[in-house]
Amino acid sequence: MQFLNKTLAIVWKDVLAELRTKEMFSSMFVFALLLVVIFSFSFDLRVEKVAEVAPGVLWVTFAFAGTLQLNRALSAEIEEGRLDGLLLAPMERSTIYFGKMLGNLLFISATEAVMLPIFSVVFNLNLIRPAFLLTVFLGTVGFAAVGTLLATMAANTRAREVMLPVLLFPIILPVVISAVKLTAGILDGLPWASLAHWLRLLIGFDIIFLAVSYMAFDYLVQG
Amino acid sequence: MSYLFAAYAVFWALTFVFVFGIASRQKKLEKEMEALRRALERKKQQES
Amino acid sequence: MNRDSRWGDWLNAVSGVMMIVALYLVFLYAPREATMGDVQRIFYFHVPSAWVGFFAFFVTFLAGIAYLRGGKRRWDVVGFSSAEIGVAFTAMAVITGSFWAKPTWNAWWPWQQEPRLMLVTILLLIYFAYFMLRAFLQDEEQKARFAAVYGIVAFASVPLTFLSIRWWQRLHPVVFDRGGTGLTRPMLLTFLFCLLTFTMLYFTLLLHRVRLARLVDEVEGLKKRLYSGERG
Repeated sequence: MQFLNKTLAIVWKDVLAELRTKEMFSSMFVFALLLVVIFSFSFDLRVEKVAEVAPGVLWVTFAFAGTLQLNRALSAEIEEGRLDGLLLAPMERSTIYFGKMLGNLLFISATEAVMLPIFSVVFNLNLIRPAFLLTVFLGTVGFAAVGTLLATMAANTRAREVMLPVLLFPIILPVVISAVKLTAGILDGLPWASLAHWLRLLIGFDIIFLAVSYMAFDYLVQG
Repeated sequence: MSYLFAAYAVFWALTFVFVFGIASRQKKLEKEMEALRRALERKKQQES
Repeated sequence: MNRDSRWGDWLNAVSGVMMIVALYLVFLYAPREATMGDVQRIFYFHVPSAWVGFFAFFVTFLAGIAYLRGGKRRWDVVGFSSAEIGVAFTAMAVITGSFWAKPTWNAWWPWQQEPRLMLVTILLLIYFAYFMLRAFLQDEEQKARFAAVYGIVAFASVPLTFLSIRWWQRLHPVVFDRGGTGLTRPMLLTFLFCLLTFTMLYFTLLLHRVRLARLVDEVEGLKKRLYSGERG
């Protein structure tokens, strides 16, 4: 209970800060929108059915917008010395990890929630389906789980904006592949039985990397 | 056959580059260490 | 230091002799493969290179765990030395593989059709990122800690990556098949010996690479003593 309260306190702090400035949400949203526009321009001329590239466009957009969020969330924390404050607070370090992870999950999900109707309109597809929303959620959990850990790492380096995607994208590949496959399968109306192994892979990734990142985070912030 | 030759040639070339790279760096460092040791010795003698 | 260098000499000699025997086996002892011809002889060096690459990354993973548990500098040295050797051998596997793929598959690097090639591509990207991370950090202790964490996380993702690439390709037509690996007895013997030789070579290189890193540390230490002496 204690643990949950403290975790939520960290999330709440980030939400309050964001509500005051609305910096992060607006920049992520505009960035995602721009990506969609650029993608639809670059594909429209050559691809006959835009629906066929939609899963790829969708997840690339989410991954790029998510990277923006991760970079900002942790580099601001370190630049302004707020992380040291958090470390001094009487709580376990893993609490900080879960707090930051949930915060990132929340902000990325919020952007995705706004983007989905826009996607539906631009690509003329119905994306608001339970199975699809579950895929988006699971994919975002995996992304945020590894992303929060690696963003903490990248924020400590020189050239942090470059560092995060270089570190993150090769590792996040299973999430991207399985999420794209699930999305395509759902859009094509394939039966669940033929997609179940992708769902299992995604859930497996989420569990493994939540556990690994939780254990490893301690070592990143010490010292 | 020429592919076989090329493959092994490249393999050995890379191995030698790697090995000699390590060896030459090791030698250079050993020399540097000698020089530093001597410099330290001299310093000690000057101080005493 | 003395015991160390004796070990080094011993390992040098053993892997050198084994390498000569391996070359003899590959080119003179192993019979010519019926369908692929002499090009198949690349296989004896190609697969062991890939194996050593993968094994080296596994050692980096283990060294990462050991470093985080004890905080001993020597585990960090083992970790990045092994990663370096891993990248070198993976690159060798890629190059020798290309020379085999060109006459056999008629393409140098058909990485989108072969799960193994794609996995190797991802592996190289991951460990380039590993070295980039090290290059962009200054503090030695922090460098070691972060690299250890990244080595662990990266290696943990490899099985999942391979699984997802495998499944992803299942929907594509299988363009390339390795064909039955119907190795005859002398071929198998040659292959196993090469595997052993390469593993030996790996440990030899690791020892020398670790020693090099230790020398760098020693020189740094001496320099510091010299300059702090000047000031004092």
